[in-house]
Amino acid sequence: MKKFVIGLLIILILLPAFYAWSAQGPDCSINLGPCAKTAGTREVILDISPKPVTSMKELTFAVSVIGGNPAPSLFLSLSMPGMYMGRNEVLLKKNQAGKYTGKGVIPRCPSGRRLWQAEVDVPGSGSIRYTFNVEN
Amino acid sequence: MFRDPAVSDIPSMLKTDSLNLLMLGSGLLGGFGHCAGMCGPLVAAWSLNLGSTSCPQSSSPSLAHLLYNLGRVTTYSVIGGIMGLTGSFAGVVRSIESFQDLSMAALGLLMIIMGLASSGWLSFSGKNRGSSAQKGITSVISRAVNRMIRFISGTNTTGSFYAIGLATGFIPCGLLYTAYIAAAGAGAGAHSQAEGFLKGMLMLFLFGLGTTPALFLIGRVVALKGEWIRSRLYSTSSLFMIITGAILIYRAFRR
Repeated sequence: MKKFVIGLLIILILLPAFYAWSAQGPDCSINLGPCAKTAGTREVILDISPKPVTSMKELTFAVSVIGGNPAPSLFLSLSMPGMYMGRNEVLLKKNQAGKYTGKGVIPRCPSGRRLWQAEVDVPGSGSIRYTFNVEN
Repeated sequence: MFRDPAVSDIPSMLKTDSLNLLMLGSGLLGGFGHCAGMCGPLVAAWSLNLGSTSCPQSSSPSLAHLLYNLGRVTTYSVIGGIMGLTGSFAGVVRSIESFQDLSMAALGLLMIIMGLASSGWLSFSGKNRGSSAQKGITSVISRAVNRMIRFISGTNTTGSFYAIGLATGFIPCGLLYTAYIAAAGAGAGAHSQAEGFLKGMLMLFLFGLGTTPALFLIGRVVALKGEWIRSRLYSTSSLFMIITGAILIYRAFRR
């Protein structure tokens, strides 16, 4: 029983490190410009400003949906691949130009990891994920 | 007072009650999925000190761990209250960032001293105070460190662990920042600053409470097995404490 508890403890401590190690790299160079992804018949473009995208600063998230505006507002979830960082959501409201915008903050991870993921839930097209590096 | 528009939309997404439940759940989930890996080594390191020769009178490890967690939750709650009061995440963090780094460095130094004390590589017991090797400045430093060690970890006041918990609460943490963002958001949507303060404080209290089981479990298991670990890996456990302390100091001054 004691060995089981100690083993479980070691696994608990090492699990985040394993997930962090197994996490994939960025698929979006957000500091160079907007990132476009295709979801069904729609193209969903994410941009974050100001650049360089830096943690612990107020950021503006902008999403454009080409091929129809699916809803009056969208949700964008921020997470760190391989490490649970809690629930961090940004409400994106449609502006007059048809673009969805909202403000949010990406927390800094003191471990030095900079890889973050933004997941946009587009009704009718599912979730679109963008993985990118931020400046700490 | 400054309020971030960045977080002002969060309360409209979630009702207060569900937000509180979410904070508790986030703490529970984060305790095992985040804190165990990030803060687990820190808790394990000082837990190894419980019952060691440098801290012989900590007869109630459970109480020490409870007080440690209570201290941590106290700091979270107060900062959460301030986040809610101001409705600003970035503004508050900017003003406490230097103090956070200082706390992390101080804890790192503490871990190193605890490691050195428990290893026996450096004597802080005062037995060698009169030896020729420790005369002059060395002797003065030794006595100062000795007093500090006794104050922090060698006294029979288990309450010193509450102080360690208070200081640990200031360690920068990404998961904690997310909780603070939510607290600032709740404060920004509050009808008054007092309501914002209470909301933020309650949210962070529940979040901290949620993280407690994981860290308590780690601390208790390490404390229970501390003697076993020390007897078999005497130098290794001390080295572990010293390395943990060095990592904390490195992170504090990296930026």
